[in-house]
Amino acid sequence: MHGRPVNESLLLVEDDASIGEIASIGLKAGGYRVATAVDGREALARLRAESFDAVILDVMLPSLDGFEVCREVRKFSRVPIVMLTARTDTIDVVVGLESGADDYVTKPFEMAELTARVRAVLRRASAPAGQAAISVGDVEIDPAAFTARKGGVELALTATEFRLLLEMASRPGQVFTRELLLQRVWDYNYLAESHLVDVAIQRLRAKVEDDPSRPRLVKTVRGVGYRVDRT
Amino acid sequence: MPRRLMWAGGLRRRLVVAFVLVAGLSAGALAVGSYFLVREARLQGSRDLAQAEARVDLNLAFGIKAASDTLDPNGFVQGYEQRGVHVVLLFPGRRSVPSDPQVNPPLPAGLQRLVREGQLAYERMQVAGVPYLVVAGKAPNSNGQMYFFFSESGIGQYLAQLRNALFAAWAAVILLAGLVGQFLARRTLEPVARASAAARSMADGQLATRLPVMARDEFGIWAASFNEMADTLQAKIAALLAAEARERRFTSDVAHELRTPLTALVAEASVLRGHLDRMPDEARRPTELLIGDVTRLRTLVDELMEISRLDAGRESVQKQVIDVRSVVAAMLRIRGWEDRVELGGEQLMVFTDPRRFERIVANLVGNALEHGGPGVRVLAAKNGVHALIEVTDAGPGIAPEHLPHVFERFYKADSSRAGSGSGLGLAIAQENARLLGGEIMVRRDMAIGSQFRLILPLPDSSSVNNESSSVNKL
Repeated sequence: MHGRPVNESLLLVEDDASIGEIASIGLKAGGYRVATAVDGREALARLRAESFDAVILDVMLPSLDGFEVCREVRKFSRVPIVMLTARTDTIDVVVGLESGADDYVTKPFEMAELTARVRAVLRRASAPAGQAAISVGDVEIDPAAFTARKGGVELALTATEFRLLLEMASRPGQVFTRELLLQRVWDYNYLAESHLVDVAIQRLRAKVEDDPSRPRLVKTVRGVGYRVDRT
Repeated sequence: MPRRLMWAGGLRRRLVVAFVLVAGLSAGALAVGSYFLVREARLQGSRDLAQAEARVDLNLAFGIKAASDTLDPNGFVQGYEQRGVHVVLLFPGRRSVPSDPQVNPPLPAGLQRLVREGQLAYERMQVAGVPYLVVAGKAPNSNGQMYFFFSESGIGQYLAQLRNALFAAWAAVILLAGLVGQFLARRTLEPVARASAAARSMADGQLATRLPVMARDEFGIWAASFNEMADTLQAKIAALLAAEARERRFTSDVAHELRTPLTALVAEASVLRGHLDRMPDEARRPTELLIGDVTRLRTLVDELMEISRLDAGRESVQKQVIDVRSVVAAMLRIRGWEDRVELGGEQLMVFTDPRRFERIVANLVGNALEHGGPGVRVLAAKNGVHALIEVTDAGPGIAPEHLPHVFERFYKADSSRAGSGSGLGLAIAQENARLLGGEIMVRRDMAIGSQFRLILPLPDSSSVNNESSSVNKL
């Protein structure tokens, strides 16, 4: 389609048989290879054993819920995760993002929505072509290697966090509105949940700042958005 | 409320006035009565004493000495004067002889007549400002008359003192009655004040309010029945609230349970939609209908869930400054309504929750598109401290009898028409508007059609700063 390598592999974790089946039909039709798991433990086992390009993870799972799976996965992998959340509460969304999910789709969803989100996280996770290394403060970003180091130590950033940092660090001093960040990092072309940005910023700060409660690198611009300083 | 307070004060004042009046009148009557009784007794006593003394003096002194014509009248009367009694001696046809020239008033004719007839008579009179009791009689065996002047100034002084004392006592009684009356009135009316405070507190929703049952008096009994009423009321309301909560929980549970199969349906329908053109003719139309109905079902379940969340009252509001026109424009674009809706008005920044705001306007526009027909317009304007977002349509307008009900759940102006709306859209819009501190008004304009107007508070600088700090917390 967009010249991307075909047959990227996805792990779909969903306990409802109908939803699981139709989602994998839809995703396969979109050109992905799809493996399925029906609960949290199985999902973790497969993720430890195999490598996937992205995970689609339902929140309401038997045995181990989606948030816990997410937190576990983040201990050993930066694989992009799209959460399937119930729309009951935005708390679900925030908790999901805080446990390390890259994006989310609320139930019920149309297949187009899901494939669009999957495509967006896959794009985020692929190394951007031809960008030179950048350093802000004591953080060095190497776009080609898709890594960032702080004081020489490699940071465990998710694809989303890395893209967010790269986006802002490419133009230090410039203020990014949430709307702009949603567009450039998450591929949303309308004002969606600003939680996506706010939670990702918070997680990013926890990793790149010396003192996350007094950020020196990733600054808040009151009433507007965020900014990365060169310092 | 001021009326009620005035009434309470009036009642207390009336009680005090009545108390003072009763006490003052009875104390006054007692004082006046006892004054006259004492006065009468003192005057009577003084008269009895004077008469006795006069009788003795007449018999003893005059009886012996007045017989002789050789008597020296001046010397005779001086003897009395030395004993402290003023006398006047009178022989008919002669000049009267006083013992004290200061006490020699013209003798009253009536008194003289009685004395001439041989009686012992008396009369009270003033001489040079001093009250005297004059007792007079004819000496035995003589035609000489003696007038004894007994001073009653002591009695007058005594009575004046008594008068003053009684008046002072009366005034004290009035004062005391006023104070006691005030105290008693307050004590008596205190339960009334308490009761009215309790009733007010119940009216304010403090259903646990009860009155203390202090005594087995009328107020005690009344307080007991008030408490009984409050118990019943509280139990009734608790039962109603529980029933309502059950009903809401049921709605919420139903919506939740529907969501899983609905998720599958929506995903399935969206996959089917991609295959429509490859379907045989006899399957295509049913599939189209199926897809449309899944969308309708989805809207209904979404809205049921939203309204049950709003009912639960646990909705959080995430406010930020938004540009009304760009949010509305984006909403129209996403929903594919761009070509059917005209967007106008001024540039307007509002401090509000963008998701809820978008939801409200989308519901209003959706409603206008469905029921109002063509010519839907969205207008943003500023009116003092409020932002106004008006959604108007060129439709026939809503009939006046339906206007008050358009925000009710599942209310449909035309019951025979099964629109694609769930019947919850406007109710949800209104609930969301209230959550944002605003309101939606509806009116019917014969010239235009229906007009829904969303009124929201405009931002001020302090709230904008709050927004940034809440973002930092996230």
